[in-house]
Amino acid sequence: MTRLSNILAPICGALSILLAWQFLLPLSGVPAYIAPTPTKIIAVFFNQTDLILSNFLPTAIEALAGFFIGNLAAVLFAILFAYARFIRMAYFPVVLFFNTIPILALSPIIILIFGLGMTPKIIIAAIICFFPTLVNMIRGLASASQNEEELFRMLSANKFEIFLRLHLPRSLPMLFSSLRIATATAVIGAIVGEWIGADKGLGALIIQATFNYQSDKLYAAIVASSSLSIAMFALVALVEARVMRGWAR
Amino acid sequence: MSDTAVEAQRLEIGYRNGRDVTTVLSDVDLTVPQGEFLTILGPSGCGKSTLLRVVANLLDPLGGQITVLGNTPEAARRARKTGFVFQDATLLPWRTVGQNIRLPAVVGGRQARALPDTRIAEVMALLGLSGLEDRYPSQLSGGQRQRVAIARALIDEPEILLMDEPFGALDEITRDRLNDELLSIWRETGMTILFVTHSIEEAVYLGQRVIVMAANPGRILNIHDLRPVKSDDNHCQRDNAAIVSEIAAQRQLLAEAS
Ligand SMILES: Nc1ncnc2c1ncn2[C@@H]1O[C@H](COP(=O)(O)OP(=O)(O)OP(=O)(O)O)[C@@H](O)[C@H]1O
Ligand SMILES: [Mg+2]
Repeated sequence: MTRLSNILAPICGALSILLAWQFLLPLSGVPAYIAPTPTKIIAVFFNQTDLILSNFLPTAIEALAGFFIGNLAAVLFAILFAYARFIRMAYFPVVLFFNTIPILALSPIIILIFGLGMTPKIIIAAIICFFPTLVNMIRGLASASQNEEELFRMLSANKFEIFLRLHLPRSLPMLFSSLRIATATAVIGAIVGEWIGADKGLGALIIQATFNYQSDKLYAAIVASSSLSIAMFALVALVEARVMRGWAR
Repeated sequence: MSDTAVEAQRLEIGYRNGRDVTTVLSDVDLTVPQGEFLTILGPSGCGKSTLLRVVANLLDPLGGQITVLGNTPEAARRARKTGFVFQDATLLPWRTVGQNIRLPAVVGGRQARALPDTRIAEVMALLGLSGLEDRYPSQLSGGQRQRVAIARALIDEPEILLMDEPFGALDEITRDRLNDELLSIWRETGMTILFVTHSIEEAVYLGQRVIVMAANPGRILNIHDLRPVKSDDNHCQRDNAAIVSEIAAQRQLLAEAS
């Protein structure tokens, strides 16, 4: 009963809003070039499947590649910073400084350097994922309790064993909470990159549709990009559930 | 081979924080013969855990002498001759019961050695954990968790078991059960046990000798020998008149100490 209503309640909520949107919008007098009805948006997916797909794929590739590269780099740097004190003291302030540069200010430079292809978008998506995961991972690696540290010391564990058997598993909850958030920011990074310079991708489609007053295409692009985030989020949640099976409190 | 488990002379114990030195216990003289069940009793903050941590080689003393099994505490730790049981069990939540108990076989460089499955089964049976091997710690009761922690400490047969309020968070019935099981394990294995507790009843019930400590400054106030009132038959009798009067005497001592 509760399981069923757990699923049904949000569906009912979403449906009611879509229905209201569908039937109340035309009555409100808002012109169609500003806000299309849900059926118009759905129609774009059916009538212009190629257009949506050919713009969805580049964005998906950029976001996924950026997600993997950015988070992988963050995890590796976190391990380096966590165990090499001098390197952390020397370079962590530099990383902090880079993080204060708004990604929107950094993106044109990256596009200037790497041109209009997919590479600069992947880099932007990677950068945007990097910092939160780095910080979370450093914290996660240091989150073992004093008793846990002492347990490993009692067993005369060496540094690598402590890393592999204690610090790394201990960091997983914080790593995954960061990865969940990164699924959305990676897509944002790819789209921001496409805004600044691209003729393909959901970001480019958003810009084109906006300037041409094609609100149905604009909204379809928005739906497609949020579907991408949701799919990536679901993937991370799935991996998390597998990796952390059993250890919930 | 020496027949003293722990020998301490004019031991100074405390914490070094950069330049600051906080002395917790000073002038500790203690001799624990092998095979003894020693309980350590005292008010919170008097340094009971700190004393155990020095024996375990988790903390270096500030001064004085200490030997564990005739050698340094570090040698005893490296040889896996000392085992430690923490108050909160400290099970790794990502490892099953079986994997937690096997941890000493997985880490420890050269000290880690493969354990036959029969040894795991033996220790699990000894602690009443049979059938729980594939559970995760989150699926266990508090008492079961402590049993797993003890099993993990026993797995490579230490000669000295250091227990820091292992049953402090358990209900009375579970605690009494585990007390009796611990006594029978102690009798079977013949190991030395240093057992810290807040509970006077527990200290007197379990220990052959009870160390009573005082706070501010932390020190050993008195070492009470219960062996005269404990024969082998009455060690396990909670309502034994002699033991009850010992409890009353300890209570008086502790009241004077604080
Ligand atoms: N890392 C530390 N640095 C400095 N002082 C410490 C540290 N750990 C403990 N102390 C101090 O040492 C004293 C003894 O602490 P300890 O934990 O040994 O007490 P305890 O007798 O085990 O108390 P409890 O019964 O509450 O566990 C306390 O005053 C405490 O504040
Ligand atoms: Mg303590």
